[in-house]
Amino acid sequence: MLSRRDEILTGLGVMLLAAATLWWIIPTYIAIPRRVPIKALSPAFWPTIIAWVMLICGALLALRAAFGPVTPDAAADDLSVSRAEGLRLLALGAILVGVYFALPILGMVWVCMIAFALLLLLSGGSNLGWGLLTAILLPLALYFFFSKVAGVAIPQGQIVRLP
Amino acid sequence: MTFLEALSAGFTLVAQWESIFFLGLGVTIGVIAGAIPGMSATMAVALTLPFTFALQPIFGILLLLGVYKGGIFGGSIPAILIKTPGTPASSATALDGYPMAEQGRAGEALSMSLYASCIADLMSNLALIVFAAWLASFALNFGPPEMFTLIVFSLTIIAGVSGDSLIKGIFAAGVGLMLATIGLDFIAGTERLTFGSIDMRGGLNFIAVLIGLFALPEIISYMRKSQAQDHRVRGMGYSKLKWLDFRRCLKSIFRGSAIGVFLGAIPGIGAAPSAFLSYSEARRASPNRENFGKGELEGVAAAEAGNNGVAGATLIPLLSLGIPGDVITAIIIGAFMVHNLTPGPLLFLNNADIVYALFIGLIASSFLLLIIGSVAIRLFRYIADVPSNLLFPGVLVLCIFGVYAVNNSIFDVAVMLVMGVVGYIMLLLRIPAAPFLIGFILGPMLENNFRQAMLMSRGDLSIFARGPITILFLCLTVISVVLIIRSTMRAARLKREMASYAAKSEQAQG
Repeated sequence: MLSRRDEILTGLGVMLLAAATLWWIIPTYIAIPRRVPIKALSPAFWPTIIAWVMLICGALLALRAAFGPVTPDAAADDLSVSRAEGLRLLALGAILVGVYFALPILGMVWVCMIAFALLLLLSGGSNLGWGLLTAILLPLALYFFFSKVAGVAIPQGQIVRLP
Repeated sequence: MTFLEALSAGFTLVAQWESIFFLGLGVTIGVIAGAIPGMSATMAVALTLPFTFALQPIFGILLLLGVYKGGIFGGSIPAILIKTPGTPASSATALDGYPMAEQGRAGEALSMSLYASCIADLMSNLALIVFAAWLASFALNFGPPEMFTLIVFSLTIIAGVSGDSLIKGIFAAGVGLMLATIGLDFIAGTERLTFGSIDMRGGLNFIAVLIGLFALPEIISYMRKSQAQDHRVRGMGYSKLKWLDFRRCLKSIFRGSAIGVFLGAIPGIGAAPSAFLSYSEARRASPNRENFGKGELEGVAAAEAGNNGVAGATLIPLLSLGIPGDVITAIIIGAFMVHNLTPGPLLFLNNADIVYALFIGLIASSFLLLIIGSVAIRLFRYIADVPSNLLFPGVLVLCIFGVYAVNNSIFDVAVMLVMGVVGYIMLLLRIPAAPFLIGFILGPMLENNFRQAMLMSRGDLSIFARGPITILFLCLTVISVVLIIRSTMRAARLKREMASYAAKSEQAQG
């Protein structure tokens, strides 16, 4: 359970998301044919209903948090992030973004080896020997399974290609 | 195809060494994953799914069902030995299992847990065989209006998987339903929410969404805290399960199995309530009720029977109606889709051999669980010792390979990564992921059947009350919603009372 403040902010965030969907995303990104004989068959009909439900949910969340019983601070979940945690999350985000952009260049096997090793270091670096061995063997094993057994064309990248 | 022809065709499919091999492999993977603290049966099924593409449909689905069954039992091993339930449903097992382990009776508790699991699993599978075909033959008469009202009723399962907040559950389901609308509109053929991307015209890949939602948030959570968890593993002890003890627990095992079958067949209830209901019923009926919670063997038996009794029964709505009974069966739908099989009444007509092969395979899985489970109990110490800082990077690598392999698409990897971040934010804000996934799966079925019904009736809504079946589902939906509102209001009242009690005690202390 979150604190009252966090619950209210969550409710307002949900309302903002729903409002943006209703009044910006749906009109802009759903192409509606000129003639729709039955309103319920319009491509925007269903998303509009869902967005309204989300808006109501957001309002109920915010109202419940504002006027409902208070969760004692000791029992509420803390959403604050310490500096060390924040840095680790940032580093993880950079690794994940890097994985996506490096896949076509380096190939899946090499990217996964590097990502494994970086995550190992990010989590403290204990069991380094086993970790590095796994970082090499696991992507190779998966590569051979998917490319040789399942017949999937695993991206090889532009630098070092595997057989 | 007659019943006997379908049965013999199914038997032919199962009577291959590969079927038994993949089923056994699945049970092994499931038991190991369930036993590793931090992994879950859901994550194990999601990660195994991409490996089934290369297999024949029957082998792939048996592999996943094996993981499911093994995972549910596997969760009870850490619940007993380190008081860390591998699955939420194993929490009830820990109530008596861990005190038994503290008393040096872990071997006895684990053996009872295994036998109760296997008996309940077998009973659940038999219930599936008896009821699924019957329900499917009834569902063959369903048209779009009947399917729409059925899915509306099924959406009330969201209440069962919403956790603390029903409103957050409904919101999560809304997001899932919204994401399911992405792609080309199936009537008008125009683009919906594709943001001009060609990759999004086919909609978001189901497997990328589910792996992102269920596996990546765990990795992010671990990396944020990055602390090695210290588990104190209890020894097995020297006590062995005696026949007399086993016999006195049989009544609780059968009662728990029946509770599991009944609750499992209703979409959305899941294994945890079943395990706790079975436990409380056993406690109420037992002459040793004062020992419950202090290391009572019957408590372990009842909890495990209730927990595993659900496993086969959740497949009843899946196979006969195409409606997932819980989150894991929602993932298993993905395996059917990948192999161009559509769960539902037509599966019994068009692929009766596969259905009966699954039934026979499921019966075999109960026996395989008995063998593999008894080995896993002895090897648990080694399984639990897998360091988390090797486990989670390994899971990420599995996710990347698995998601890419579905469509040979790097875009799907991006979808998985984005869904992972979304899933982590949901985890932080206590927004449950299960309703999201159920909304995402049921969304297209809901919308398509609604629009087909509207086309049939030329926009007349009264088509949704055209016969006894639609009226029955509408009534069930109303009853279900009323019950949900009542229980939500009761929980809110309880919370208010607790809050005022906490405020009063704070005042008294101040």
